Amino acid sequence: MWCVIGEPMGKRKKGDGRPHLDDRKSLSRRRLLTGAASAGAALSTAALTHSQARAAADPAITEIQDWNRYLGDGVDERPYGLPSEFEKHVVRRDVSWLTADPKSSVNFTPLHELEGIITPNGLCFERHHGGIAEIDPAKHRLMINGLVDTPLVFTMEDIMRFPRHNRIYFLECAANSGMEWRGAQLNGCQFTHGMVHNVMYTGVRLSDVLKEAGLQSTAKWLLPEGADAAAMTRSIPLKKGLDDCLIAFKMNGEALRPEQGYPLRLVVPGWEGNMWIKWLRRIEVGDEPWHQREETSKYTDLLANGKARRFTWTMDVKSVITNPSPQAPITHGRGQTVLTGLAWSGYGKIARVDVTIDGGRNWQRARLDGPSFSKSVHRFYHDFYWDGSPLFLQSRAIDDAGNVQPTKAELRTARGQNSIYHNNGIQTWHVREDGSAENVEIS
Amino acid sequence: MSRSPSALLLAGAIAALIDSGSYAQGVDIGEKVFRKCKACHAVGDGAKNRVGPHLNDIFGRKAGTVDGFKYSKAMTAAGENGLEWDAQSIGRFVAKPRDAIRGTKMAFAGMEKEEDRASLIAYLKTFSGRGAGRQPEKKKAAVAAEKPTANPAIATGAEGKKELAKNAEVPGHGTFHLGRVALDEEITAWDIDIRPDGAGLPDGRGTVSLGESIYTERCAACHGDFGDGRDRWPALAGGQGSLMKERPEKTIGSYWPYLSTVYDYIRRAMPFGDARSLTDDEVYALTAYVLYLNDIVTEEDFELSSENFTALHLPNEDAFIPDDRAQEGHYANRNEPCMNDCIPGKAKVTMRARVLDVTPDSETVEGTDTIE
Ligand code: HEC
Ligand code: HEC
Repeated sequence: MWCVIGEPMGKRKKGDGRPHLDDRKSLSRRRLLTGAASAGAALSTAALTHSQARAAADPAITEIQDWNRYLGDGVDERPYGLPSEFEKHVVRRDVSWLTADPKSSVNFTPLHELEGIITPNGLCFERHHGGIAEIDPAKHRLMINGLVDTPLVFTMEDIMRFPRHNRIYFLECAANSGMEWRGAQLNGCQFTHGMVHNVMYTGVRLSDVLKEAGLQSTAKWLLPEGADAAAMTRSIPLKKGLDDCLIAFKMNGEALRPEQGYPLRLVVPGWEGNMWIKWLRRIEVGDEPWHQREETSKYTDLLANGKARRFTWTMDVKSVITNPSPQAPITHGRGQTVLTGLAWSGYGKIARVDVTIDGGRNWQRARLDGPSFSKSVHRFYHDFYWDGSPLFLQSRAIDDAGNVQPTKAELRTARGQNSIYHNNGIQTWHVREDGSAENVEIS
Repeated sequence: MSRSPSALLLAGAIAALIDSGSYAQGVDIGEKVFRKCKACHAVGDGAKNRVGPHLNDIFGRKAGTVDGFKYSKAMTAAGENGLEWDAQSIGRFVAKPRDAIRGTKMAFAGMEKEEDRASLIAYLKTFSGRGAGRQPEKKKAAVAAEKPTANPAIATGAEGKKELAKNAEVPGHGTFHLGRVALDEEITAWDIDIRPDGAGLPDGRGTVSLGESIYTERCAACHGDFGDGRDRWPALAGGQGSLMKERPEKTIGSYWPYLSTVYDYIRRAMPFGDARSLTDDEVYALTAYVLYLNDIVTEEDFELSSENFTALHLPNEDAFIPDDRAQEGHYANRNEPCMNDCIPGKAKVTMRARVLDVTPDSETVEGTDTIE
């Protein structure tokens, strides 16, 4: 059999941890066993370690380990705590050929190493256009000008005196998965989907700050601007600004990281990441959009007929399986397996995620777990027994506005292959019989 | 390193400069020549790495060794093979970077004139070793003079905090009475955005031919002599008629809807690494030159100004449409998605990432797409 739907754990006899005799996939079991003999790969050894009784006792248990005997570092050895040295590989990574210069470039969140819904601050992907601005908060100012009664300047201290709000939102770059428009290109969900992160922001309502200056009746648009060497700007409809935007100064409880806009960043929930102006120093109020470089030359979506959509702000419903995936193969051999991933939508909450392991022939509802917030990522799981045969994994998210995540083929039919932005098509991972996985497209 | 005759000559020229009274003059000219490097390199007090490494203390430094800068493999290797920077080696490198160090990522075409190189080197020398004191002092004075005198309204004086809280002044505006009124000069300093209808355009003017000379000096190193874009730096011209092709080239001439964006963006962000260093007239001239590179204006004496600006239109203005994603079939038809036996037959691989594996670590060719 090419592909088999996993059986839920409950249907199997619990606790024996050994291959089932009535297992239908004798072919794949034979492969596993012969593979173990010939390849001698770490994978197969691991499989044996797990499924067979050990001949000798495990020294991890029988020998007294250093950490069990000697004293470790005391308090204050690590005034700002860092991850274990065994987690060194869990870092943001870039794809150097994508851009001319690292000062205007991007790196990617290691989604396959993370769990739950919160992205740790040091792993949130970075995209900047003029390098990281290192700003002394004592010298930072926020100005409100344009169609207001009283143009104002705020210090950081002033901003912190407005009423505060805490919200968890995803931020996705509109170009996330943009390299996959013409077909499978990058082997790893870090690279195909890693321009997204999910953070709890603490900040003040943009509407409170704007109202402090007094909005004039002709006001319709906002132009937030950054203090970096690109002086980043985007036009945002005032309606959105008054609806749910925040001016944030904390992420996950601590000050924004410099690469995420320290000391102030605009939070534009559900909308493309480029609009979340970092190092926010000014907001102009106007009656027309400005058509800045990042909303004309960039962040417009070229269609096959030569027309280009502009102001495509909302991030569509999307999901990706983070494990297994090319950077996170199955190493335990056949048996009980955790499939997990993330789903999000700029329109609201995720209502449901479906997963398939046979390339879209049959789907099952995944289990959503963890807190569910509007415009935040949601964590999903599908626990199943892997029989060792090849899999074609896909996930399909549906949001509470009823949007269904489309296939890549549907997107290409509607838009062509040169849109760059807003690729939310269903991703396929091919898991091979040795547990390794690759980025593929299938028929 | 082998010493070419011209390198020896150059060394001679510098020695002559240093010995004679013309040294100071050489340094002054060198400072001007260094503008060609400024987009990418910084020198002087607190110089940081930009597109290229800072060039303080470059003399006697092994190539490719500034902390925290990501060099090309070629530059690092040159250093490991013993390349040390001195008058000769800098001269040779700057004359033709790509020939001197094959595979360097310094996107600079080269500096032909030997006199220019000599004064440049004399100038750089003032930021190295013993001579380092001289130039920075001058710099410091200049910086101090440039700094606007502190505005009492802006300063958040610590003295104020000593006052009793109940005596603090509370402004009248708004609900929370926070912040203070922005001064006109502060708004002018930051509010530099321009709209397609011309709102925000400063007074001023500049011709194509003036634009060309500024462009050659300050933009061509990255964007190419004809706006064709060196290496991966963006192209500013060309690509007309390519939008429906397999590989569209999106440039100001082929794609951008509005000229105001060109002016606005150059003024706020270019040259890359030295933003806000152009005068308003220079930006008019550069904008005119970009129009010329795109064959939108054809006369070299064409002058762009605040008066004729809004009369000019870019060819692709009408190709932009509003967001209509919601009307696409896959969103519009709200069908319940299929759960069982959805596609006949078994899944077959039609394309795999390994075929054109461009994943970092995978030691293969580079990808073809760029991110924007
Ligand atoms: C477009 C950007 C750019 C311009 C313009 C430019 N450089 Fe560079 N330069 C670089 C980069 C990038 C490197 C690092 C090269 C590498 O790693 O291969 C570099 C390296 C160097 C080095 C070697 C430094 C070291 O630490 O080993 C010197 C010396 C140098 N440049 C001098 C100059 C001078 C002098 C000029 C002006 C005439 C100039 N550069 C113009 C980008 C530039
Ligand atoms: C050191 C290299 C460098 C120099 C010098 C430079 N630029 Fe750029 N330019 C860039 C980079 C990098 C970008 C893209 C920045 C980004 O991605 O945000 C860019 C973008 C642009 C764009 C927008 C291109 C587009 O398609 O969106 C224009 C216009 C431009 N530059 C004009 C100029 C002008 C005019 C000058 C000279 C005054 C100049 N640049 C000097 C590197 C450079």
